[in-house]
Amino acid sequence: MNHLKLVIKEIMTEKKDVFLSVLFGFLAGITAIALFGSSGYLVSKAAFAPPLYTLAFLIAGLKLMGFARALSCYGERYFSHRATFTMLSNIRVSFFEKLEPLAPRIFQKYRSGDLLARIVGDVESLQNFFLRVFYPPIILLLVFLSTIFFVAFYSWWIAFILFAGLILTGLVIPAWFARRQKKLDSRIRESRAELSTDVTEFLYGFLDLKIYQKLQGKKQRLHDTSNRYIAEQEREGKTAMFNHSINSMVSFTVSWFVLAVGAYFVTAEQLDGVFLAMLVMISLTMFENALPMAVLPGHLEDNRRAAKRLYSVVDEESEPNTIIEKKLPAGQALSLAFQEATFTFPGEDRPALKEVSVDLPAGSKTAIVGPSGSGKSTLMQLLLGVIRPDKGKILADGVNLSEVEQENLWAKINVVLQENHFFYGTIRENLLIADGALTDKDMEAALERVELDHFSLDDAVFEKAENLSGGERQRLAVARAMLKGERLWLLDEPVSSVDVLTEKTIYEHIFSLAKKDTLVLISHRLTGLENMDKIIVMEQGEVVEAGSFKELMEKQGYFYEMKQIEKNVLM
Amino acid sequence: MNDLKKLAKAHAHDRILLFIIALLTGVMVIGQAYLFVAAVDRIFLQKYSFLEVLPVLLVLLAVMIARAGLTYWSGRTGVQMASKVKRDFRQSLLNKYSRNPIQASFQGQSGQKVSVILDAVDEIDSYFSQYVPQVIQTSVVPLMIIGTAFYHHIYTGIIMLITAPFIPAFMIIIGLKTKKKSEEQMDEMAAFSGRFLDILQGLTTLKFFGRAKQQHEAIRESSLNFRDATMEVLKIAFISSLSLEFISMLSIGIIALEVGIRLIVFESISFFTAFFVLVLAPEFYNSLRDLGSAFHTGRGSMGAAKKVSEELTETEQVVEWGDTPFRYTDKPPVIELKEAGFRYKEEGFALKGISAVLSSNQQIAIVGRSGAGKTTLLHLIAGLIGPTEGIIEVDGRSLFSYEEAGWFEQLSYISQHPYLFAGTLSDNIAIGTNEAATRYEIERAAEKAGIQELVESLEAGLDTAIGEGGRGLSGGEKQRVALARAFLKKPSVILFDEPTTGLDLHTERILQASIEALAKNSTVITVAHRLHTIRNADQILFLENGKLIAQGSHEELLAGNQEYRNMVASHRGGIAQ
Ligand SMILES: Nc1ncnc2c1ncn2[C@@H]1O[C@H](COP(=O)(O)OP(=O)(O)OP(=O)(O)O)[C@@H](O)[C@H]1O
Ligand SMILES: Nc1ncnc2c1ncn2[C@@H]1O[C@H](COP(=O)(O)OP(=O)(O)OP(=O)(O)O)[C@@H](O)[C@H]1O
Ligand SMILES: [Mg+2]
Ligand SMILES: [Mg+2]
Repeated sequence: MNHLKLVIKEIMTEKKDVFLSVLFGFLAGITAIALFGSSGYLVSKAAFAPPLYTLAFLIAGLKLMGFARALSCYGERYFSHRATFTMLSNIRVSFFEKLEPLAPRIFQKYRSGDLLARIVGDVESLQNFFLRVFYPPIILLLVFLSTIFFVAFYSWWIAFILFAGLILTGLVIPAWFARRQKKLDSRIRESRAELSTDVTEFLYGFLDLKIYQKLQGKKQRLHDTSNRYIAEQEREGKTAMFNHSINSMVSFTVSWFVLAVGAYFVTAEQLDGVFLAMLVMISLTMFENALPMAVLPGHLEDNRRAAKRLYSVVDEESEPNTIIEKKLPAGQALSLAFQEATFTFPGEDRPALKEVSVDLPAGSKTAIVGPSGSGKSTLMQLLLGVIRPDKGKILADGVNLSEVEQENLWAKINVVLQENHFFYGTIRENLLIADGALTDKDMEAALERVELDHFSLDDAVFEKAENLSGGERQRLAVARAMLKGERLWLLDEPVSSVDVLTEKTIYEHIFSLAKKDTLVLISHRLTGLENMDKIIVMEQGEVVEAGSFKELMEKQGYFYEMKQIEKNVLM
Repeated sequence: MNDLKKLAKAHAHDRILLFIIALLTGVMVIGQAYLFVAAVDRIFLQKYSFLEVLPVLLVLLAVMIARAGLTYWSGRTGVQMASKVKRDFRQSLLNKYSRNPIQASFQGQSGQKVSVILDAVDEIDSYFSQYVPQVIQTSVVPLMIIGTAFYHHIYTGIIMLITAPFIPAFMIIIGLKTKKKSEEQMDEMAAFSGRFLDILQGLTTLKFFGRAKQQHEAIRESSLNFRDATMEVLKIAFISSLSLEFISMLSIGIIALEVGIRLIVFESISFFTAFFVLVLAPEFYNSLRDLGSAFHTGRGSMGAAKKVSEELTETEQVVEWGDTPFRYTDKPPVIELKEAGFRYKEEGFALKGISAVLSSNQQIAIVGRSGAGKTTLLHLIAGLIGPTEGIIEVDGRSLFSYEEAGWFEQLSYISQHPYLFAGTLSDNIAIGTNEAATRYEIERAAEKAGIQELVESLEAGLDTAIGEGGRGLSGGEKQRVALARAFLKKPSVILFDEPTTGLDLHTERILQASIEALAKNSTVITVAHRLHTIRNADQILFLENGKLIAQGSHEELLAGNQEYRNMVASHRGGIAQ
């Protein structure tokens, strides 16, 4: 229920539309009752051959009400749907806004197909919350009470029956359905998410599935998932139909009682027979407003689940907002320092980094080397401020990174990650991410530096850049980082899939651009590190050695040994 | 598949059932009106006693309950029919996507495809669960009512007959627009899904480039577009029901007026008849009006169905395989490329005229600069793409004359960007073979790939969940998990696309040993950037710009090719500053 409160909050931002939908809903309900009630009265009256003018008057009134009703229906639908869909769009945006700060951690908890299912399917299902859960009871109550008030002028008994009908259809039966619904334990939202997740993975892993001949098996599993989803939908559909019928059965029965009791009173001469038809017509029409109550419990349960799925993703991890508003100086190379920084990934026993202490002066060029899994990329993530050390500090320009506003930090860094993402679109769109104000000339120059000048800016980039070769993707990422033009470079194996000749040219460009900048480079190749100011050697989360190439070679330690291995395989 | 009408016809059984339900409903509707009017008439005008009308009242109650029951039955039948159709549609889509050649699988956005498989198919539901039952209902019940009206009071019948056609006419005019609008709506929905999924994948990148906030705008815009598209569709629906409402209101008014005048002025009909037709008239128009709104939903479904069938009819050149069984012998097959080539598009990169013999048991290295076409060549050899020129022969017959499953059974291919599935480490390795792998075999494979240490350091070992929603791994660790797949089976042909990128020399040595062991019984074709891998190869294919510019052993190429010499020389250089 808690999560639904958030949905209600979103609805309430559209106050005007909400008010208008309730108003028109009420008008539509009440005019319909007046319409059918008076038509019942009309024929009964007509049976006594009254003067023609009363009849004409009544008929004119009827027409008027008819039009009023049609227009109110229109108004109700229009405003309620507008409110609903604006709300959905707001929910989507706020979901994304809350999701964004949680990346990349969130992906270790949720799969992208699942998140997609939440933002599309679950949000979509919330449209029923306003339309079928939130305001129908309000209208029901308003319409019923005013009608019962009116009927009470004619017969207390019938008013009482109608009131009993209200309690029955508005309260007792929905409560019963709600209990049934709980027991039913619909897994419609979950099974939809499962299908969405599996289909997404099927599409993303297509090449591997194909190579390993697993497409058929996976497809079969998707069928099964889909059938489970459809079965859930079918069960829901049937339950809704059942509830609907029970509800109308009860409404019919109540109207029948009105007729029977009315008939009895007429024969007992306690009620004027002229009103009998009117009262029954009123009752029949009135209960049309109770129809939505039949499907309300189902939707409520569904919405509860949807809201929970939606908001549980984003509300569990709100970081305590400590002072993180410091800014780094702009336009100058920054110095970096680790002071006994220790970091352990959540849920791990072993720290990924142990008491790392290094100093990287402003304008220095540092290489980080070490075996796979030794913590190089983790070090980079700490520098990027996406993870925070458990112990110790990381300083940029003497400021503790934990106190620096993240956006401000990122704005100062040219970064190439070990895995880079490219968006579906064109080369231009992917480069413009670096800086929206770039001219085509800038971008073309950058492409030339990374030897991608055979591409035009308008060339298509497929999803995940599947139409670019591995090396081309890396080079595009380097071009993007170059275009950002900031003074701190963090490069995580930027050219590992690029041939040595191209690698050489790219490094030349990078180093000439970064001449006065601070640069951190993670590399597996040990050749060409001679000119770096500092080499940091990592192993199992610890810095085992640090120093210039010459120092490390003289020391004849870990780096020296690695260098020997490399020499052996190269010569 | 694309015509929902035809599909609905195919469910003849359900339609007959719906038809019978409609007939019964018609009887109940008329019966209800009749009994209701009879009861009022007897009490109000004929002054019967309560006990005398009680039987009529009881029958009325039974009729009302039966009517509700019939509604349930009809709805239920529709829901079942919808389920069957959705199942078929989704099945066809999945079949289509799983048969897609890999080139086609790269096209478009995954999120869009997900949206078609989920949302568009779901959208078809209402055609069968609402529209079809309503059409059948409306083609029966109003006819029965009109018949009754003619029987009791011919003028009412005539008025109904004249006014009724306005409703379907209106519906059709408005409905035509609906279909197009709902196609647009489906498109917006798919576009939203596509964009969202893409943004989600690249969220980290966007953050580092300070673009994440901008994406809020993009999402908002996309989401508002979707809202507007939806409102467009709905507005038509509302306008259409408003006008239908007006028409029926007007018609009921005319009927009431006619009946009223006859009843009062001419006194030519009885109260019973007058009241009876007045109660029937709304039922008549309601049924037509319900058809109106059902028609609207039905048109919406057609829009979705069109989207699905467009997706289904999009033809792709599927790589056609033959049916010669690919037999496993001790000796790996000889693969021969004869003037083979491939082009992605009309213009742009193309692999041209590759001729080479990859003998049994050889170690072959494919080298060349980035973008030279190495991965493309591997795809070609693996049979993932069909050559657009020349042929590829395996043991003297065209590769594509063999059975697809048999060939891939003998092949291991570790691609340049292997995908790790959400699942345990062990699942991710086991995907490498089609046979059930034992725990021991998986452990051995992990060891050969050099991830034993990692596995041991994990609490749950091989049962640790990785991939999306699981534990993160370092770049090199991911690479090695994928490599372990190759060590699980004993294929006769192994393709490695830069297996050791991102690995340190130490780890690489472990792998090198494992690969050499594999190579004893199979042909190993490796795309390599590292010199030492290249040097040990029996044959080197040197690619440049899609052409095979040299082939031979390391020594031969060193002696004969300047480009190659340059490459080797720069290996010894490295980062210059
Ligand atoms: N999200 C994570 N959760 C838990 N452990 C992780 C996570 N990401 C990485 N690790 C572990 O932390 C250690 C260091 O990983 P890191 O990515 O820093 O290695 P690396 O030095 O960059 O290696 P590589 O050269 O292979 O990229 C590894 O043992 C890895 O398994
Ligand atoms: N699906 C595709 N559609 C169009 N062009 C493509 C597609 N895939 C690759 N290309 C183009 O074909 C060329 C060769 O790509 P390929 O992946 O074969 O290169 P590669 O030699 O493997 O390079 P690398 O060493 O960088 O991985 C590249 O220029 C690339 O842009
Ligand atoms: Mg790394
Ligand atoms: Mg490649």
